[in-house]
Amino acid sequence: MTNETQASVKQITKIKRWTGRPAGRWITARKVTQYLALLVFVVLFIWSRRGGLPSNLVNTPMRLDPLAVLTHLLANRTFLAGSALALITIALTLVFGRAWCGWLCPLGTVLDIVSPKHWREKKRVDPPETWRSVKYSLLLVILVAALFGNLTLLILDPLTILIRTLTTSIWPALDQIIIAIETTLYRIPILAGPISNFDMAIRPKILPSEPLFFRDTLLFAAVFVGVIALNFIAPRFWCRYLCPLGGMLGMLSKLSLFRRQVGEECKGCTLCTNVCPTGTINPTKGYASDPSECTMCLDCLETCPRSLIVFNPGLSLAEWNDYDPNRRQALASFGAAIAAVALFRSNMLAKRDTPYLVRPPGARENNLMSKCIRCAECMRTCPTSALQPSVMEAGIEGLWTPVLIPRLGYCDYACNACGQVCPVQAIPPLSLDDKRTQVIGKAYINQNRCIAWSDHRDCLVCEEMCPIPEKAIWLEKTEFKRVDGTLVTVQLPQVMRERCIGCGICEYKCPVNGEAAIRVYVPETQVPF
Amino acid sequence: MSKMSRREFLSSLLAGMGAIAVDQVLIACGVKPNLEVPTATNVPPTSVPSQPSTPTSTTVSPTKSTSKTSVPTPVQSETALSPSATPPGMPDLVVARGGEPEDLVRRALAALGGIEKFVPKGAKVIVKPNICVAYHTYEYAATTNPWVVGALVKMCLEAGASSVQVMDYGFGGTPQEAYTISGIAEQVKAAGGEMAYMPGFKYITTEIPNGVDLKKSDIFEDILKADVLIDVPIAKHHGEARLTLGMKNWMGVIRNRSAIHQNLGQRIADLNTLIRPKLTVVDAVRILMANGPTGGDLNDVKKLDTVIASPDIVAADSYATTLFGMKPDDIDYIRIGAAMGLGRSDLGSLKIEEI
Repeated sequence: MTNETQASVKQITKIKRWTGRPAGRWITARKVTQYLALLVFVVLFIWSRRGGLPSNLVNTPMRLDPLAVLTHLLANRTFLAGSALALITIALTLVFGRAWCGWLCPLGTVLDIVSPKHWREKKRVDPPETWRSVKYSLLLVILVAALFGNLTLLILDPLTILIRTLTTSIWPALDQIIIAIETTLYRIPILAGPISNFDMAIRPKILPSEPLFFRDTLLFAAVFVGVIALNFIAPRFWCRYLCPLGGMLGMLSKLSLFRRQVGEECKGCTLCTNVCPTGTINPTKGYASDPSECTMCLDCLETCPRSLIVFNPGLSLAEWNDYDPNRRQALASFGAAIAAVALFRSNMLAKRDTPYLVRPPGARENNLMSKCIRCAECMRTCPTSALQPSVMEAGIEGLWTPVLIPRLGYCDYACNACGQVCPVQAIPPLSLDDKRTQVIGKAYINQNRCIAWSDHRDCLVCEEMCPIPEKAIWLEKTEFKRVDGTLVTVQLPQVMRERCIGCGICEYKCPVNGEAAIRVYVPETQVPF
Repeated sequence: MSKMSRREFLSSLLAGMGAIAVDQVLIACGVKPNLEVPTATNVPPTSVPSQPSTPTSTTVSPTKSTSKTSVPTPVQSETALSPSATPPGMPDLVVARGGEPEDLVRRALAALGGIEKFVPKGAKVIVKPNICVAYHTYEYAATTNPWVVGALVKMCLEAGASSVQVMDYGFGGTPQEAYTISGIAEQVKAAGGEMAYMPGFKYITTEIPNGVDLKKSDIFEDILKADVLIDVPIAKHHGEARLTLGMKNWMGVIRNRSAIHQNLGQRIADLNTLIRPKLTVVDAVRILMANGPTGGDLNDVKKLDTVIASPDIVAADSYATTLFGMKPDDIDYIRIGAAMGLGRSDLGSLKIEEI
């Protein structure tokens, strides 16, 4: 290396420090795009609550996701017009490679933000290149399983991870922190007014008017923290080695138009190798990179002291690497997927539902399991947070599909939001009138726990709450003899099963401690599987 | 702006969290916010002509209270929550029939001596309708008629109220949905009032000194602080209480309602010893005869075009029972409320003006 090169290397290294460095035009453009995309994603997330933005707008991110759209297509053999948006992402990839990952993906941006700073300044030891094949294995398993009607592993799609975590962990926790601050400051007389106004300003527009509760909040936070923590092994660890969507876009990038090329005058200063967040610039191959791994972040472009890196259009199939899927891996994935699907089909849950597997309105009849892309949009939009990620009810196969837990929230008689917001119509888009007659479960009274039945005291909360115009609970006056010999007349609630739609407000409001004295059970199967 | 080091940021964050934690502990240890909540009176709000003219000594009234003038009234205080008495010549209760909702309210209030009698200039007013569910529009008579609420808001502002807030915390659907679907939000905004939400942190555990069974409840603070409360229930059927009217409407300002559903009649009366509206306007434009309080079937709705107004909440509720072919004593909370001296249910001796 000449003195001149060394000097410029020093200079660039200095510039490359993350604090206060003047980034070049390309990097600035990329970062602005990334933050804007993340902002749009979060805004759409915030206003995907019922009463926010139109439902076919808030689910745009999921419909832009080609992995979700393709697997849904394979599993159902039906194409939804709205899903054509995914073609935009595919077209983008065919032109610019994995630009989605580097420029748009909100999870990618989060990983860039929390990436340890020293990665960009020091030489590092990356995990073996063969690890990169994991994402392709996952992708193949997901695609083959989808062909047999199983979408379980879409829980690993980056967008579903982010929406699920925001819905079940981050937002409710943020809400609790703000409630604690408000409660505290409200007690200070001079702050009571401003706090009250602040609350009026943020609720119900940004935070819910009532705190939301989700099960396993810690679990979802832990998964998310895990994905971020992997960043400390290597930058964008998730995107390089694990992300099935990244794998899919990587395969498409083998055909992409714009490719990174290095000029022949390269002196091998290794600056670009060190700065590359996906570690794909290979010094042994003349500092070339794999278009399937490159996220088009353009860091190398502006790092190169001699400006030898160009991104030029060209038509060719990219080189096949050792870690790219081979026949053995494809067969193994194929076998694994078929074995898993067969095991799921022979699982007892395929024969008998668990008693409390109450699904969102209209979903059961439509084979929710093979339609649901696990995106958690329905749980986000549900105004009462009645829809919860399934953990046990639907088995491993139905992990994190929506299930209605009436003790946590009830299906609001005035709401049909989940069906409207579902990007793949796994929950059918019922009109409000149709939803009001849609049977999602049936309520049963536990006479051993009911205040009226067992304690002979009037309660009737379930009857009061029942939203059915003619009431699905009727009251029978019965005389009882107390221990002391006195006679009491008690109104005993009874469910008129044929009227009950299973909305669960009776179970939600039942004043009995712990398990309610009236519970909603899964309805009889209406369409054979 | 000078940069904050990470250590500085973390330590100040920790200090803030610590302060919050300490404060929470202090709150839990019973350091109560200093709220000047006027104590309830357990004497009838309306004048009883036969009684002697000396103010009774049973009343616990805050220091500011002054004894008012000529009318022989058991208690007169100018505190926020005690209802004002009806001057001689004025009816105890007005029933307005026939006409548009707003017109009914205006006529009823005019017959009671005008809204100015209840709403002083500059007063902070809270109008409390029944917006219990977000399920149906007002035609289904599950929620208070929006024009009745709107008329009251308008009249309060005309009388010089500094602010008029309308609120309720229902049980079916979110409040914002209920406000919109009931049509109340639209009419209140058109009238110049404000639809307020009721965040959880503004509920204050409050002693109910005159409560027999319910001694304590978490009550929305603004209700306790308001200068004037106006109760605007809709008259409708209710499974457990038989009817939901003005007194039961105050269940909308407490949080822990499952605790009130046992011994409901007594506990509603207890709650009413603390929360005393200056005016009760029962909306009976449409009443729900069955399958309340949620409704949903127009066959259960009866159109009466009637509004009942009274400074005496028990009297207003008592009269409303007759619309359903019942007697005041059929409803537990009315019977108990009258016995506790919250108002009068003896319709025969009340001075009722029907217009």
